[in-house]
Amino acid sequence: MSYLDSPRLHFRGWFQADVSTINNAVTAYELPPAEPFDPGWNPQGTGIVRFLDCAVTGAYLDGKQITDPSGDPVIGMTIQNANQRAPGKLVDLDPQQQMVSMIFGMQVRIVSPALETVMQSEFKPAPFINLWPRQLEGVPMDQQLGAVYQSILEGVEWPTAAESPVLDALRKGAHGRKLSIDFNVFGYGRDPKIPRYTMGHVVGTIGPYREGEPEHFVLGRQMINQGGMFNPPTGNIATLQAEVGDNGRSLTVDFGNSFEIETANSGLKDIGTVLVGVLNSNPDQVLSTVDAAGVTVIGEVPYTGKDWYTQTAGVQTFPLSANGEAMKLLPANPLVLLGPSASTVVPPVYSVLLQESVNGVYVRADQFVFRIEPGASQTIDFYATQFGAPLANAAITLSNASALLASLGGTPPDISVPTDGVNVPVGSDTATITAGADGHAQFTLQANANGLTVNGNPWPRGYLEGQLYALGYQLEAQPANYVPNPFNFVSILAYSQKYNQNPNNPPPTWYDDIQPLFAQYSNLYPIMSKYVVDLSDYDSVVSRIGILYLAFSLPESDPNHMPVTRDLGAADRAVILQWLGTTGPDGLPPKGTPPAPKQVAAAGEAEPEDLLPIQKAGKTAVILRYERALAKAGKGDKK
Amino acid sequence: MIQIDRNIITGIQSAASGPELHRYLQSAVKLEHSTIPPYLTAMFSLKPGTNKEIGALIRSIVMQEMLHMTISANILIAIGGKPQINRKEFIPDYPGPLPMNIGDLTVGIEAFSIPLVQNVFMAIEEPEHPIPVKTMLADEERFATIGQFYQAIQKKILELGQGIFVQPPPPQVVSPWFPPHKLFEITGPETACAAIEIIVTEGEGTSEDPFQSPGDLAHYYKFGEIAAGKMLIATPGGGYAYAGAPINFDASGVWPLRPNCKIADFAVGTQAATRISQFAYNYANLLNSLHHTFNGNPAELDTAIGLMFDLRVISASLMATEDPSHPGLNVGPSFEYVQVQGGMPQGSV
Repeated sequence: MSYLDSPRLHFRGWFQADVSTINNAVTAYELPPAEPFDPGWNPQGTGIVRFLDCAVTGAYLDGKQITDPSGDPVIGMTIQNANQRAPGKLVDLDPQQQMVSMIFGMQVRIVSPALETVMQSEFKPAPFINLWPRQLEGVPMDQQLGAVYQSILEGVEWPTAAESPVLDALRKGAHGRKLSIDFNVFGYGRDPKIPRYTMGHVVGTIGPYREGEPEHFVLGRQMINQGGMFNPPTGNIATLQAEVGDNGRSLTVDFGNSFEIETANSGLKDIGTVLVGVLNSNPDQVLSTVDAAGVTVIGEVPYTGKDWYTQTAGVQTFPLSANGEAMKLLPANPLVLLGPSASTVVPPVYSVLLQESVNGVYVRADQFVFRIEPGASQTIDFYATQFGAPLANAAITLSNASALLASLGGTPPDISVPTDGVNVPVGSDTATITAGADGHAQFTLQANANGLTVNGNPWPRGYLEGQLYALGYQLEAQPANYVPNPFNFVSILAYSQKYNQNPNNPPPTWYDDIQPLFAQYSNLYPIMSKYVVDLSDYDSVVSRIGILYLAFSLPESDPNHMPVTRDLGAADRAVILQWLGTTGPDGLPPKGTPPAPKQVAAAGEAEPEDLLPIQKAGKTAVILRYERALAKAGKGDKK
Repeated sequence: MIQIDRNIITGIQSAASGPELHRYLQSAVKLEHSTIPPYLTAMFSLKPGTNKEIGALIRSIVMQEMLHMTISANILIAIGGKPQINRKEFIPDYPGPLPMNIGDLTVGIEAFSIPLVQNVFMAIEEPEHPIPVKTMLADEERFATIGQFYQAIQKKILELGQGIFVQPPPPQVVSPWFPPHKLFEITGPETACAAIEIIVTEGEGTSEDPFQSPGDLAHYYKFGEIAAGKMLIATPGGGYAYAGAPINFDASGVWPLRPNCKIADFAVGTQAATRISQFAYNYANLLNSLHHTFNGNPAELDTAIGLMFDLRVISASLMATEDPSHPGLNVGPSFEYVQVQGGMPQGSV
């Protein structure tokens, strides 16, 4: 069960993502930062992520769509974040992997008009996925990509009764006090002069979650657009997921991240009539057209209806009980989205705008972003399906995806060295894991207990903590002509352990151990250093020992965790805590002896010179870099 | 000097039980809190890297006001009360009088300036008999001072005795954020009176000595130093003068904030509206968090501290935002108690 099931509620409003942009460039990590230093478009970002002016706009219960408070008092209730702790934080995995930005420490509440909290929960940290150039035009510096977050809400509590049938039904369905949440983000502004600066639109859905099911995607029908990563989808409708529910009697499709928008505030672009159907056969490829005899139409997508998108978040249920043919076909034939031909053509020939994966097969790593400590292991859960049902005993091939990651993140510094930092297959090696009868397979990600040292440096990238690895995966029996989801790979940040934990070592000192780390964070997160504590300055640091001790001891999931970038391993944070807790003869943490000044070589890839500021670092730069990498490899997509 | 209604003193004097004292201690919590928004605003309005000594002086005062608020709340808890912090009425409607004040002093939310320190902050902190000589004759019939307010509470607690203290003591906030000789558990009349003494002395000093402790001036004299632009030193002959090292003020190092901004002043869909709303929401969260902390969850103080630091970083973009309808002035913070995050239009996308 998921947000695609009943009951569900839909919300819309704004989100703010006040990201700090200095760490978008690897060169900013150098001490001193390599020239030319580009602080990006929001150097004073706080990292705060939050919802504002978000309200419940629609709900779905017992087969009925509700859009008015008279239908259920949940309509009009607001969606809020925490009301007695700090808001969440939005964090890139790494300057060399900025395409899986993850939300940490965000509370989600539903608040009644009387300002009572009727539902309170914790958003389980998750990255976005399915980034695509959704917004066709923008004001200068607009982020024209859209993306989607899907996760679960944990620790769900219902502090105040609301006399809402929808909320009552959700509460009864909240197995283990968990709910499923999905929200689409788009229309994000980066021009400091506009009201949307650091803000964009959000429309989303909250529904039931059942223990044991994936948390970050729906075990359903997967329709992956053609065109490749970051390109406009071939049929103008982007990747989506759907689910056949109610014992086959209904089909629910999530169009929330799939229709283009003209501008940030324009709403969905009208691309003509779009129909949902199921093919009458199971072809071995993605079709471009199908005639009327080859498809069973299920219904029209009402996406041009006034307020449809905001009241449904793009989640549409199509009843099937009157369509016996579709019910019969769906278990073994692909879903399609169709654009009808001109009315003069009889019988009609449809263009296929989007088609379910070939032969209905799909595999997905549920969580696909991992931060891992030296010597630690974590489980990666894979789910294989065919036409939404478990694909029993599926063999899944695992591979090394560092080349893809490098094309996104740029080099130098080199990623994925040493090769044994984590146990992803090396080079062109592959490994196979096999799913059980339930289509569920697991891989135990293991980080090398000896750390990541290269040439004696525990930071294999020289001036960057930790190292990036990427795990590729696909079904061993992936059909020919298969259109994979290019975002289906696992990104891994393996933490370094810079400081030897030998208890016989001399205690850490400012100059030897702390200043090199803190000076980096001071440069990367200037809002903190300018306004709270100057991390590059010993006197400032020791005047705020209490707050620093607190922040460095908070778990990664806490919004006030330091470093905000969540890129420092537990061992090195422990050294910082040890230092903060040590007092020398003057009652303050030991300063040590200043090092002799040294020259550092410049790092980072030379960028072409005619780039705009937003093209030099950040997500726009990632896409340009990726396109250059493709072009270099001779498989460039002209866009 | 804040003049308070003499009826409050009479009310304390006529209290016959612990519960009858609750409202006066709640007033004390409210009063100690009420100085924090104006002081914090003045401190936040100093641009980074400028006016560091002034910033440090105000910060030390703000920290002590937080301590005083904590002490008052702990005494209230110790005698069976529940501090009420998470509500609109807890925050003064700035600009206006402070809690219990009969209205002789209007306190607003403004950027730092020397006149603000001189005319408002020093007036808030002014002892009954300040040193160096500067007296202000109170009408003994109608007005009482904060010092008298706290003395009356001390006296009443001693009179009612150990019996009003709940056993075992409910959880109080005794946190390492403050030194243990200043923040300790209130267990009976003796600890309560000693704690009140800290509030009075840190705020006003003693009648003979402007220092609350060696090297640490009472608030009134710290503000006096800022206003005079010089540190206070002892003079030969036993007096005191603002004649020490200079405390320089760089007027260009202050954000030009429009005083007493309110959320409703700004059109929906502007940066000004979203940022002032965000600040107020965050401040309300801080009060909610403190309420939770003081009502049985003392360990939650760390969460409140996290919110305080967020408030600091949020203030940076707020104070750099121009007020669209007042060219030359920027948006100042609002301390309205809001519980929804807003500022953007609610129309469909």
